[in-house]
Amino acid sequence: MTGTIGRRTLLTSAVLGTSATLVGATAMGSLAPETAFAARAQLPEPGQPDPNFAEGRVVSRDGSVVMASGSDGRLHRIQLTGGTSVWKLRPTTVDQVLVGDGLYARGVLMPGGLLAAESVWVNIVNLKVHITAIGKNVLYLDHNGQKVVGHVVPGTSAAVYNGTAAISDLSMLKVGKHAQVIGAWRPDTNEVDLATIYAAA
Amino acid sequence: MLGQLAAVQPLVIGLLLAWSSYGKLHGPHVAAKARRTALSDLVGDRYAAPAYRAVGGIELAIAIALLLPPLWLVEALAAVALAAGFVGYVIYARVVVPESSCGCMGSAATPVRWRGIARAGVLLAAALAALTADIGWWSVQPMSIALVVVEAMVFVGLSAELDRYWLMPLRRLRVRLTHPLAGTASYEVPLAATQQQLLRSTAYQSVNPFLRSDIRDHWDEGDWRFVSYTAAYGERPATAVFAVPRLRYEPDEVRVAIVDESSGETLYRPATPLALVD
Repeated sequence: MTGTIGRRTLLTSAVLGTSATLVGATAMGSLAPETAFAARAQLPEPGQPDPNFAEGRVVSRDGSVVMASGSDGRLHRIQLTGGTSVWKLRPTTVDQVLVGDGLYARGVLMPGGLLAAESVWVNIVNLKVHITAIGKNVLYLDHNGQKVVGHVVPGTSAAVYNGTAAISDLSMLKVGKHAQVIGAWRPDTNEVDLATIYAAA
Repeated sequence: MLGQLAAVQPLVIGLLLAWSSYGKLHGPHVAAKARRTALSDLVGDRYAAPAYRAVGGIELAIAIALLLPPLWLVEALAAVALAAGFVGYVIYARVVVPESSCGCMGSAATPVRWRGIARAGVLLAAALAALTADIGWWSVQPMSIALVVVEAMVFVGLSAELDRYWLMPLRRLRVRLTHPLAGTASYEVPLAATQQQLLRSTAYQSVNPFLRSDIRDHWDEGDWRFVSYTAAYGERPATAVFAVPRLRYEPDEVRVAIVDESSGETLYRPATPLALVD
């Protein structure tokens, strides 16, 4: 935990300009975007699956290597690192990637077929729904005729009404209206935890 | 009383079948509607629309026969046969075109739920009761019309198609009275709002090519919310950190630095605020 606090202190002072250890940008060479893109090892070939992407259910986890069984039958080996961002309802830590979770991973395919993940999204779903009922901190949703239960997570769930800034107040949602839901699926259920709901107010 | 109950069944069934046939015979999207039903699995896509219309035609014919005098047993027998057919059909639809098992995804046809099966069952029971009628519904006591109303309410309650006319307004009323989501309103700024502001900032757009990950960490301090991403600066692994105004929407005030965490060096930080540079 002190590691996290130490990192944050370093980064906070860096971005606010309170630390003195600035290396001049010119010393680091060009800032042009091509420099960054050149670092990408493999570019996808037309008609082939993107080599830098993996998707599937986590079947096993051995330390920081996750095996995921893809929906197309492929088995992906995914390496989580200290630099991997993990989204599971909210930005979280790599230890939250559990067996049974569904995931999307983006990173760099290493020689040997291991995908070094840069970003992982766990159990993320994006559903177009209509709201069939509203209960205490729960939304009952219908997605193409299937019932989905959406749980409000206080402090995390947010609503975007008419494309304006996200707010935590979900009370403007209306029964019978359409909405789009970004959430985290609870594996093997028809329940999701709600991250962001896009709706008309 | 039982005689009266049996006698009004042809009226109830007749009205129900007439309404049902109207939806199958009238309207601009009948063919499209037919293809979305389980009929297209039963008779094939090509014949779904004609079969759908044929069922509508049979319903209408039986409805007219039931509603108009005279009282013939054969009308009730036809209604029993049709209702039995409906029960078989909804159970078939439930078994052969079930909800896909993922729990969230897919484009399944609107599934048959227990209400649809119950409605077909009630219709069959009504048709069987109609078999025992010995007087026409036009000669029952006026009080028996109350039975028709009660039975019609049962059918309405079992019809998912009609929910929006009574169930949705009731649920809206309950929400208005109990405010189940009122507890969500707070002064906390959701991370999603910070991210929206960040994505629209010059600072983010100028370093976007260096970012390698989604949001890795975020924390609040004073008026700022800090958001960090994994980045690559040249060949050097680094961390991009943004300071976003927490309680205000001022994308031009977003600041950025790219930091090498192993050495603690700041690799890149534009003169602040970035928007004033150019």
